[in-house]
Order: sequence, then C-alpha cells, then structure tokens
Amino acid sequence: MKAPNCRNGLTIAVFLWLVAVVPAGAAQEQTVCLQCHGGLDGHLGAPVGLWQTSVHAENGISCHDCHGGDPTDFVMAMSPERGFIGVPAYAEVPEFCGRCHVGVLGDYRESAHGQAIDRGGAQCVTCHGNHAVVRAHPDLINEQDCSRCHDYGRAAEIKQALKETDAGLLEMDRELQRIHKRGFSTEVLEGALFDLRNRFHRVFHSVDVQKVRQETGGVQAELDKLADSVKEFDTTQGKRKLWGSVAVALLVLLGVIFLLVRKTYEEEEQGG
Amino acid sequence: MEASDVSPVQRRTFLMVMAAAVGGVLTAAAAWPLLRFLSPVGAGDAAGKVEIAREQVPVGAVHFFQHRGRPAVVLQQTAGQFIALSAVCTHLGCVISWEAAKGEFLCPCHGGRFSSEGQVLGGPPPSPLESLPVVVDGGLLIIG
Amino acid sequence: MSAVKLVIDFLDVRFGVRDLFAKELSGYLLPKKVNAWYTLGAVLLALFGLQIATGILLLVYYVPHVDQAYASVQFIMNEIPYGWLMRMLHAVGANVIVIALLLHMLSVLFMASYKGRREFTWLSGFILFNLAMGLCLTGYLLPWSQLSFWATTVATDAPGAIPVVGELAVEFLRGGPTVDNQTLGRFFALHVVGMPLLLLGLIGFHLFCVKRRGISPPPFGAEFKNAELLPMFEHEEHPGGIPFFPNYVVKDAAMICFFLALQLAIVFYAPTLFFPASAFEPADPFVTPPGIKPEWYFLWAYQTLKIFPNELIGLGVQGAFMTFLALLPFIDRGPERRPAKRPLFVTCYVLGILVFVAISVWGHYS
Repeated sequence: MKAPNCRNGLTIAVFLWLVAVVPAGAAQEQTVCLQCHGGLDGHLGAPVGLWQTSVHAENGISCHDCHGGDPTDFVMAMSPERGFIGVPAYAEVPEFCGRCHVGVLGDYRESAHGQAIDRGGAQCVTCHGNHAVVRAHPDLINEQDCSRCHDYGRAAEIKQALKETDAGLLEMDRELQRIHKRGFSTEVLEGALFDLRNRFHRVFHSVDVQKVRQETGGVQAELDKLADSVKEFDTTQGKRKLWGSVAVALLVLLGVIFLLVRKTYEEEEQGG
Repeated sequence: MEASDVSPVQRRTFLMVMAAAVGGVLTAAAAWPLLRFLSPVGAGDAAGKVEIAREQVPVGAVHFFQHRGRPAVVLQQTAGQFIALSAVCTHLGCVISWEAAKGEFLCPCHGGRFSSEGQVLGGPPPSPLESLPVVVDGGLLIIG
Repeated sequence: MSAVKLVIDFLDVRFGVRDLFAKELSGYLLPKKVNAWYTLGAVLLALFGLQIATGILLLVYYVPHVDQAYASVQFIMNEIPYGWLMRMLHAVGANVIVIALLLHMLSVLFMASYKGRREFTWLSGFILFNLAMGLCLTGYLLPWSQLSFWATTVATDAPGAIPVVGELAVEFLRGGPTVDNQTLGRFFALHVVGMPLLLLGLIGFHLFCVKRRGISPPPFGAEFKNAELLPMFEHEEHPGGIPFFPNYVVKDAAMICFFLALQLAIVFYAPTLFFPASAFEPADPFVTPPGIKPEWYFLWAYQTLKIFPNELIGLGVQGAFMTFLALLPFIDRGPERRPAKRPLFVTCYVLGILVFVAISVWGHYS
C-alpha cells in the first residue's frame, strides 16, 4: 500500500507547483535516499544515475519500493526496523523482484534458468540490469549477453519465435493509436492488447522454445481478433466517407441549381 | 445557352423541379441520422448482459468470461452466493487470476491482491475491482 | 392547390400574410448591383441554426460533470448511432462559422457598409462576433479532454496580467483557483443558455438595424454615388432593385448549400483538421500535453501576448485594437465609401489582414 500513497504525495507536489508556475514535464520526488546517495561517489552513488534511466523511475518506482526503509527520515532511512532490506544475495534476487513481479517469478522458477540458480544460473538482473532496469523486449536476448553463460543457438531460436509476434504486438499498438486519434474509443481493445503483451512477455521467461511456439499461436489468434476490430473501423470509415461524398456532391449540385435559377432571374431583371 | 428558345420561366420551372428533387433527397438523408440518433438505446443494455449456466460455476470455483469486451469473473463462494467482478486489475489493467488455495485474486503483473469480494488486500491497486450485478434465474446466471 | 389557397386565406384574414409577404419579401428591394458577399448574413443565420440543432441533440446525451463529461462525449462518438456525425458537425460548424464571420466582417469593412448612420448595425455585428468567439471558447471546455482542459487553463490565465484585480478575475472566470468542475458548470451554462439567448437577441437587433435603415449598396461602378444624409431618419430605398424574394433568396440558398458542403467535406475528408490527438485523451490536471496551442482563430491573441515583454501591455494592445474596431463607424465619419478613393483605408485594411495572418502563422509555429 506504500506505492499509491507516495504517488499521491507526488501528484500533490506537482499540483502545487503547477498552480505556482507555468507547467512543464513531470517532477521527481526527492526522497532522503536520493538526496544522500545522489551526492556519494563510487558504488554508493552510481545506482541513483542508473535508476534514473530505468523503467522503474519512468513509472515512479523509487529506491524504497524495492529496498524498503524510510524514505522520509534521514536517521532511520536504512534501519531494519523500518523494513530496510539492502542488497539481496545472488540467488535471492528472483524472490526480491518477484515480490511485485509475481507472475513472471512463477514462469522463471520453472525455467532452465530458474532451476539452475544455485549453480549460477541467470536471474532477473542478468538480463534486465539491476538499477537501470530494462523493460522485457526481444533484444534482451542477444548473443553477447547469452553467450556469457552458454551457447547462443537455442536462445537465438527462442528469439526468432518471439520476434515476429512481438513485432505484431507493436504494430497493433500503432494501429490502435491511429484509430484512437480518429476519435474511436480503443479503451477495450487497448486493454486486451495490454493483457496480451503481458502474457506474451511472461512467456519469455520460460526460456522454453516449445512453450513459446505454443503460446505464439494463441497470441496470434488474439491479435487477429484485434486486427478484425481495426479493419471494421476502417470499413466503417470508408462507408461514411462514401455517403459523405454523396451528400457533399448533392449539396454542391443543389447550390449550382440555385445559381442557375438566379441566372434566370438575372436575365429577366436585365430584360425588364 | 443564352440564345435558346426556352424562356427563363420555363427553364426556372425545370430547375426548381430539380432543386426540389435534390432537396428532398438531402432532407431524407438528414432525417435518417436524426431518427437513429434519437432512437431508444435500450437494446445496447441487453447486449451488455451475459448468461452463464449455473453448473459452470460450482461452489468454491470461479468462471472467467467476457463482459462488454472485457474479462470478468464469477464465483460461487458458498452455495447460492454468486459474486461477479471485473477481472481487470485496477492498477494497470492486467487480468487477475484466482488463487484457490488462498481464496483470493492475484494480479500476476505487480502482485495486487483482492479478496473474493473484490476488495484490495495488498499491493499497488488503488481501488477495488468493479462489481457486476448477478441475477440467478433458475439454472442461469444473468450478469451485467 | 386550392387547399394551399384555403390555408393562406385562413392565415391572411388573421395575420395579413399576403400584405406582409408583399411588403417584406417580394416588395423588399435590394440594390441592383448587390453581390455575393451580401449572402453571408443568410449563410451565418443558417449555420447558427444548424449549430443550435446539433447542440440540442448533443445535449440529449452530454453530462456536464468532470467525472462523466469525457465519457459521455465518447459515448456520443462511439455508441449512439450517428452521434459522431452530430458531434463533428457541431465542432466543425463552429470553425466554419468563424470563417463566415470573418468574411462577413471583412467584406463590410472593405465596402465601408458601416457608413451612413449604420453604427449600431456594425456595433451589434461586432458584439455578435465576440459572442461567437465566447461560444467557441466555452464550448471548447465541455468535452473535458486534455485539449479542452489545457486550452481553457491557458485562456483563462490571460486576465491574470491585469494589476490588482487580475488574480480575482482569473478565479472568477474559473470559479476557483484552477479549471475544475466549477469551471465546467459555468462554461456549460454560458454555452448552452446564456450566450445563445444573448446571441439570438442580438441577431434580432442586427437584422432590425439592417431592415430599418435599408441595405447599403455596394460602392462600385461608375453610377455609384455616396449617400447624402438629411437631418432626419431615412429608410434607404432601392427603386427598381432586385426583389429579395424570390430573386435574391435563391442566391442565398446557393451560398448556404456551398457552405454546408464545405462543412460536410471537412467532417468526412479532414475530420482531424480541428482535432489534435489531445482532443481524444481525458483531461489530466497533472500532465500538460506538449505543444498545446489555442484554436487558429485565437492564435493572433495568443501570439500578441507573447510578443510584448509584459503581458499587461499585450492585453492593453489587444483591448485597444478591439475597441477601435468596435467604434470604427464613430471614428471614420467621412462620407466616401469607394475603396478606390480611400487609399489610406485600403492600405491599412490590406496591411491589417497581412499582419493578422502573419501573427497567426507565427503563433502556430512558435
């Protein structure tokens, strides 16, 4: 329940600031964590800069959301009494991240990566980074990173299986944006796409070609359904345009007829 | 055109008949949207109702379905007690899943937890799940 | 046919409709040289009529509350059959009206039709123009989109530059420190009742002025003579002119058709012309969309506020300019109406239009 509270704090701060000054971009909350570590050198200060580029910072997830502690109290900030956790051990990272990312944790545990964690198997941070956390994306599967631990062959196969569908998800996102800009309410469709993308990105974590291929079929079918909705919108727009053209043409025709009628009067006015 | 043997009056009569025809078509074309715009929208409401066979939702079990294009869920907590909820998490919009062992809903994206009545138990969701009315009609559940 | 005659007879003995028709329509003679610009009044009447019709229809489903306004407009656009058509007609219609109003004003200015004791025709027309702008501004907020919210925030912020009472004026406009439900409430009341009532009343007065004083003939051609005014009320007659009905009405009808065709063409072929992406996002008081700009007809005002180092000077210049325009017939009192014989006026006129366009374009790209 901490997260929404501090977001309210943030919005109130932004609000007051908006009232006072001309509005511009979003402000970042200055917790005591950021104030102190922001001024430190080396490994104690570096996380601040890394975090600022992360998907977490983008969504207002700050230090204490993962590491616990009290972001409002300089003295007690890092006290275990206030729930401070600090740095998790290598094998504990999945549990650490999985407190929020519960769905992914399940898929990961069953995966070859998860099974091999005690033997140094890849965990969250291996691919996503620690403080500069990166969103799930097919490009996280790449030769450079994967071949740190094992042969790239199978990973490449998985990437290939994911890539097409992921491109389809992105393409659908653009399509929905396009029709949304035309005034079409895409809320329901966007919700469906959001769910679909999350389900699909979770599959990444199973690192199982078979499972990925299986899921891809289902995701593709759902994508086709969304594509049908977009197509229906385009067809409707086309029909409206056709009828609109008829109406415009008739109005112009009527206008021209009236002008011709006016001409008959003009002839009389000149003659008479 | 000027030197035609048709008098302006004759030409005008012809043109006015044309204008009346085009104007009539345009008026009809304008009347139709007006009529449809003001037509009762009750039919849309009935379309928003979903019927589910009662035996699909045994006691203690849940059933997921689509309601107005969005995922929804119905569960029978105790015999004859049906609860229907939107299955879309109020945090960011992921679809929740049912944790039978705990008797609560869990959002797999960021760990939002909801009670079987849809109340927030923990995690980031800012508000409870949207509740949908359920009417038991014999062997049918009418939801929405 | 005889049924029609019966109805007319029935009305005639009660209201004298034949006499009314003969005097006010077929016997109402317009100047012989009357041109197409003289149809703009009728065009505007028709366009305002369509706005009132579509406006009433939108009112059937619109909900003036911040929690529901955006959703109700979405409902109109997506769920109600032809709701999109009514909404688009209304929104595009507002823009077409502004175009027609500008053309109407510019043609009257060029022909100096405000001369010859027609000060109140001009003044009422000028107030009507401002009222239409007010209707545009208040209507803009109602969909409660990002565009609505931020355009209104920027627009209602301007009076803040006035010393002493500025802050108070802003709060009074908004009904609170920020644009909120109170703002929506007062803008809604103004948009659907207050301003339209005033508009109808003023249109009545404007038409009364036009009819009572008589049409001002176009100041072109060799035979045109500037009117000589007697020290008493005169109705300017046009003996041997064109009967308003049916001879000239068909031209009005033709122009109305062309303007409606333009309006429909925008609705169907350029539906996003007046709808940037932020028009389809619900209002969010905490997120300013990038590059928020007022509508094209307010760009000049927006940019003049930015040109001057001090907003107060900008507001002062705008106020002075508008007051000058409103009172022009009281200032420009010479009898000469022919543009060819008013080089100074025509120069100012052309320069004025160019400056207006330049500042608007500048405002658009700045």
